[in-house]
Amino acid sequence: MQGSLIETRSLTLGAAGRTLVSELSWQASAGERWCVIGRNAVGKSTLLRALAGLAVPHREGTVSWLGRSQAEWSPPDAAALRAFVPQQSADRFSVTVQRLLELAVCVPGGPDPQALLLALDAASLAERDVMQLSGGERQRVALAQCAAQGAPLMLLDEPVAFQDPAHQRQVARWLITLAKRCLVFSAHDVNWIASVATHVLALHGDGGWEAGPVARMLSAERLQAVYGCCWRQADGAWLMID
Amino acid sequence: MGLHGTRLTAFAAVLIAATATLLAAAVLLGSGGLDAELILKLRAPRVLAAVGVGALLALSGLAMQVLLRNPLADPYVMGTSGGASVGALLALMGGVSLWIGAAGGALFAGVLLLALARSALAASEDASARLILTGAMLASVAGALATLLLTITPDERLRGAIFWLVGDLSGAQGGSVCLLAALAFALVLFSRRRSVDRLLLGSEAAALLGEPVRRLRYELLVAASLAAGLAVATAGTIGFIGLVVPQLLRLVGVQRTRELAWMSPVGGAGLLVAADLAARMVVAPMEMPVGAVMALIGAPLFIGFLMRSGR
Repeated sequence: MQGSLIETRSLTLGAAGRTLVSELSWQASAGERWCVIGRNAVGKSTLLRALAGLAVPHREGTVSWLGRSQAEWSPPDAAALRAFVPQQSADRFSVTVQRLLELAVCVPGGPDPQALLLALDAASLAERDVMQLSGGERQRVALAQCAAQGAPLMLLDEPVAFQDPAHQRQVARWLITLAKRCLVFSAHDVNWIASVATHVLALHGDGGWEAGPVARMLSAERLQAVYGCCWRQADGAWLMID
Repeated sequence: MGLHGTRLTAFAAVLIAATATLLAAAVLLGSGGLDAELILKLRAPRVLAAVGVGALLALSGLAMQVLLRNPLADPYVMGTSGGASVGALLALMGGVSLWIGAAGGALFAGVLLLALARSALAASEDASARLILTGAMLASVAGALATLLLTITPDERLRGAIFWLVGDLSGAQGGSVCLLAALAFALVLFSRRRSVDRLLLGSEAAALLGEPVRRLRYELLVAASLAAGLAVATAGTIGFIGLVVPQLLRLVGVQRTRELAWMSPVGGAGLLVAADLAARMVVAPMEMPVGAVMALIGAPLFIGFLMRSGR
């Protein structure tokens, strides 16, 4: 219990008459990097939104931050505690990357925006307009923005969905440097997950779920249970087999 | 690229100088020449009204763009001014204060637009076309209602009533009230500049950063509607100022509310003074209604912005 930053009790999520997550009782602490895995449409994004305190189609149960229910947090206090990156940003107005990072700051004395951009290979984008960035660039900027907010709990919806392999590795290394924070993210590449996550929360699509340390959760049987296909490990890398 | 540092200062100086030059020209030029009484009794109040109304309309457009998160929003295009003119016509017939009627009509149209646009605003995909079309239909309904009201308006009041439909600054009173209201509006926006800039990132993004999004949006809706109502009560339905001015400022690279909050009203004042000058001078000694002049300038620009935004 000690040090848990976020905790769910009997959290049940649903959408379109379907149960996505049933009775999830789970917690995460600073220093942990949780990856939510599951097939498409099992509710990874919905779960991350619920953990962030955003509106979801149907929810029961409670999510608490630092032992206090989400509803008890004022918006500014919540902003200082948790940050969230959606899968895609829908920009409508021009703003420079630098200004975007300035606007994101909620905790004074947080990380240096320039250093964040540098760590995410986005330093050259500082003066650019967010409307003119590529999908991958925009996503790395969103990650920098999320860290610039200064919140200890960072919720990231598919942070490497638009990244090329080199940038996927760079994002992985950067996430590992955020050692004092608690990260919860979703991803699909099993080997990328193995290189970043300390823990895995698997969603089975019928409401069922399983959570645990990465070494236990990434096994051939469990991967098969999640993705419905066979896996084997060769030279330390996971391969999907027919 | 955003405009900042010395280039921003230089642009601000050019904007102020251009507006001041237009003001001086509008006061000094015209039939009758430099007659002191003519200047004080006729031209100065008219220019003051143009300044106040132009500033209010630009601010109203700026606030609606933030509220609807759409750079093409404008009180005229989105039906708010139309609602104000219907309200003003009803007030004229009922013998109530014009300003109350116009403000009430504008607020009603604004609330209706927000209610109708709810799904378009909530959608994460680009719903700007749907939003603009919804507003355009509201404006069209308001126009039809205004025409219907005109048919039952008694003849002796008809001329005054037509005024609302076209938009005209000749004989406009209340410029100083408009100017004070614009000043207050600009100060409200300026004092919330960081929140407004965050709101431009999206209402969910702003909420995640701890902004009281709902309260901010109510404030913007009320301020934008009251400003449009006051402008319409003063000078009738003049369109496109709220669209053209903030949009041109953004194209130049002015992105922050810190600057937009004062540059928009200054630019709006300059533009309406220029349009009114043209309305007086182009076919002198006859005059055109300034609303028609602004539509001739604004509508092609709107189409230009629309095509540019589609790229």
